[in-house]
Amino acid sequence: MLASVQSAVVRGVDGHAVRVEVHVSNGLPGFTVVGLPDASCREARDRVRAALLSSGLAWPLRRVTVNLAPSGLPKAGAGLDLAIAVGLLVASGVVPEAAIAHTAFVGELGLDGAVRPVPGLLGVVDAIRTDEVVVPATGFAEASVLGRHRVRAVPDLATLVRVLVGEEPWPDPPPPPPPCSPPPPPDLADVVGQPVGRRAVEVAAAGGHNLLLCGPPGAGKTMLARRLPGLLPPLTQEVAVVATRVHSAAGEPLPATGLLTNPPFRSPHHGASMAALVGGGSTRLRPGEVALAHGGVLFLDELAEFPPSVLDALRQPLEEGVIRVARAVATVQFPADFLLVAATNPCPCGFAFTPGACRCSDAARRRYARRLSGPLLDRFDLRVIVGRTEAGALAGPVGEGTAEVAARVRTARELAAARGVVANAALVGAALDRHAPLSSAGRAILERALATGRLSARGFQRVRRVARTLADLDGEAGPLGGGHVALALQLRAERVVPADVGEGVA
Amino acid sequence: MSAVVERRDGSVDDADRACLLALLALPGMGPHRLAVLLAGRRPVEAWEVVRSGLGVADLGPGRSLRGDVSALGDRWRRAAGPVVPEALLLAHRAAGVAVLVPEDDGYPARLRGDPERPPVLFCRGRPAVLGTRTVALVGTRRCSGYGQEVAFDLGERLAAAGVTVVSGLARGVDAAAHAGALRAAGAPPAAVVGTGPDVLYPRSSAALWRRVAEVGVVVGEAPLGAPPERWRFPARNRILAALAEVVVVVESAARGGAMTTVEEALARGVAVAAVPGSIRSPLSVGPHRLLAEGASVVTCAGDLLALLGCGGAPSPVAVAAEGAAELPALEGAVLDAVGFEPVGLDVLADRLVALDVPGGGPVRLDELAGALESLAAGGRVRFDGGLVVRSR
Repeated sequence: MLASVQSAVVRGVDGHAVRVEVHVSNGLPGFTVVGLPDASCREARDRVRAALLSSGLAWPLRRVTVNLAPSGLPKAGAGLDLAIAVGLLVASGVVPEAAIAHTAFVGELGLDGAVRPVPGLLGVVDAIRTDEVVVPATGFAEASVLGRHRVRAVPDLATLVRVLVGEEPWPDPPPPPPPCSPPPPPDLADVVGQPVGRRAVEVAAAGGHNLLLCGPPGAGKTMLARRLPGLLPPLTQEVAVVATRVHSAAGEPLPATGLLTNPPFRSPHHGASMAALVGGGSTRLRPGEVALAHGGVLFLDELAEFPPSVLDALRQPLEEGVIRVARAVATVQFPADFLLVAATNPCPCGFAFTPGACRCSDAARRRYARRLSGPLLDRFDLRVIVGRTEAGALAGPVGEGTAEVAARVRTARELAAARGVVANAALVGAALDRHAPLSSAGRAILERALATGRLSARGFQRVRRVARTLADLDGEAGPLGGGHVALALQLRAERVVPADVGEGVA
Repeated sequence: MSAVVERRDGSVDDADRACLLALLALPGMGPHRLAVLLAGRRPVEAWEVVRSGLGVADLGPGRSLRGDVSALGDRWRRAAGPVVPEALLLAHRAAGVAVLVPEDDGYPARLRGDPERPPVLFCRGRPAVLGTRTVALVGTRRCSGYGQEVAFDLGERLAAAGVTVVSGLARGVDAAAHAGALRAAGAPPAAVVGTGPDVLYPRSSAALWRRVAEVGVVVGEAPLGAPPERWRFPARNRILAALAEVVVVVESAARGGAMTTVEEALARGVAVAAVPGSIRSPLSVGPHRLLAEGASVVTCAGDLLALLGCGGAPSPVAVAAEGAAELPALEGAVLDAVGFEPVGLDVLADRLVALDVPGGGPVRLDELAGALESLAAGGRVRFDGGLVVRSR
């Protein structure tokens, strides 16, 4: 007898519909899974058998063949367990075929028959074309995000079978979790002094400008960067779904509502492998940190310590907002539209700006200078040197808190939206000319900077975008004034490591 | 190292010169070992001693070689086997490097009487520039912006006044001094280097190196191809000190290459001067110690010219704190806040909170930035890698 059950698997962050065909025939008792299952998928046989027996159901002592169609698509993970079990029950006549005709099943089985969560559930559910989908109880919120399906959450196989044979109605969905507010993000008011660093973080959040913070250890670079996500507006529904899908596929914890609405903040360590950062793996192709930062902030602390190959891999996401990972089994594309924030010391010991304090070897300093040069610096519109707060300023008045600054950021983002872009960093060409005209004072400043070589032609456009954001934050419409242009220019240090004395003096 | 190369008629022929080069090229050859080898021998004879492997163990009375002498003799003998001294000499000449011995006219007169004079001096450019008035400007490679500016200024003004600026072509103070001297287009600069005359070290100074060799002179006691080795630099400093009439320390920690140059200068009776700095700067500890011990204070090139006895009007290096008065109020306040050391925008903003800013209220960053750009347009400040520096 033959049964066919709808399900889906995830590869990368996207789901792929899979039809699970189960054939039960006479012959020597046996169980075969075909259709490119990976090891964890092939092991379904033992889980399904134990789950059936634990649930008080019979295991057919006949020949069972399971085909996972399309057969050419490699399948990974245990998410097809439930569909295989249901198929087996239909094929052996326990469950009527009509009961599953318009339903898809997703879930991993425990030996006790419990239906367990699967990673990438949101992507999996998205690939399902039936009206009804059965998911693990813990995945109800996540599977309901799309709103396209009737989502049924079942705690275990026995319950599911009772429902399918008509003994019981579908169990109630688990109650929505109590609204536990997540711990508040770190507040900008904690940052004492640092007027320039604070301003830079605000501008980065408002305009979507990539930010590089450079300074000695203890200057507060990391502290500033961690306060940036709190300034960003919540994710739009569209971005939130994509970000949730990535987090789900990576097996990252999701909020109780099932939908990620706060911008993520990812800070991979510089020792992380290439696969961990950009994504990869042999069959499942798990998204990496770069994709997990989609819609939020990717923070690279100690930028100069990252291997050049990793920094090189950031080029594509920064330009296209996606990252493609090619493996033997497939090439997958991950969303990767993030705000890049990086922090670095000017040299390994960090005190290169303090005369006489640096204890690094010349070679170490040169290595840093080489890393933190042209192509890498070019990716940051904002390059800010933060100093250690002078003792007097530590006792000064408390600066603005996150709430006040976030309000200005929201207003600036609304202005950008009215210009047809998400943030000013995306203004290009004619739109930039139309929305960011220069006042005569501003033009004079930029022309002088161009003439003295302080600014390149590319930098010219970038400074205008940043100046536009500065003016938006100050509520000034119209041509960009001299002050804003000057500040935009000065927030873009042409070097973040001290020049090698002697170089260029000839 | 004296009284070695003279022949009875006082001249030195090419065979001796070539053998000197061959001796210098031996592994582990330094000034001390060379002196021992040349004691009472002509270079040709010393070369023969090395090549035959004979007599290294009983090299003349008085001075001797330390360590495992027979092993050294074996090493030298093996290394000397394939060497053709004449080819070495030709290679130097082909590379445009003059090989000077103390008997040559080109050999700097100030070195000729030196107790540790180099038996050979490799020279690129015109050694005659060392015969004029000379001042050595020395200091740390990791100097501050202040040290760099002062070295550049002193170099420029001394050269303009006709004084040859001698330094070591290292990074930092050395490079700035050479660059200043080249800018003046006055007296050509001279450099004493620790590497071979074809090894441009450090690489960051390569352009400067070529310019100095083109306009002035680059000398050293290492042959073609000699790599930078730790021991060569203190040895170089003794030549630097010997060539100078005054050694000026611009910036240095309590120890370092500049301070060894000072010791060599004191041992030779060469005058020592120092540039004062901030008492908080670790890079001015060296100069301040020298000043306390009686070194002359250098606040301008005129001080040095006076020391040399060529008079000269004082031409202050110091930044004049004038001119804030005629600026618009905010710009004046900002210029005051900039001070005299490179400063970041955030420190400036902090300082301006404390200052009495006209118009009241805290200065907004864009106003501050605008004022800085106006000051930069007026040439009063400049931007250097994210920091603001007062222009001179």
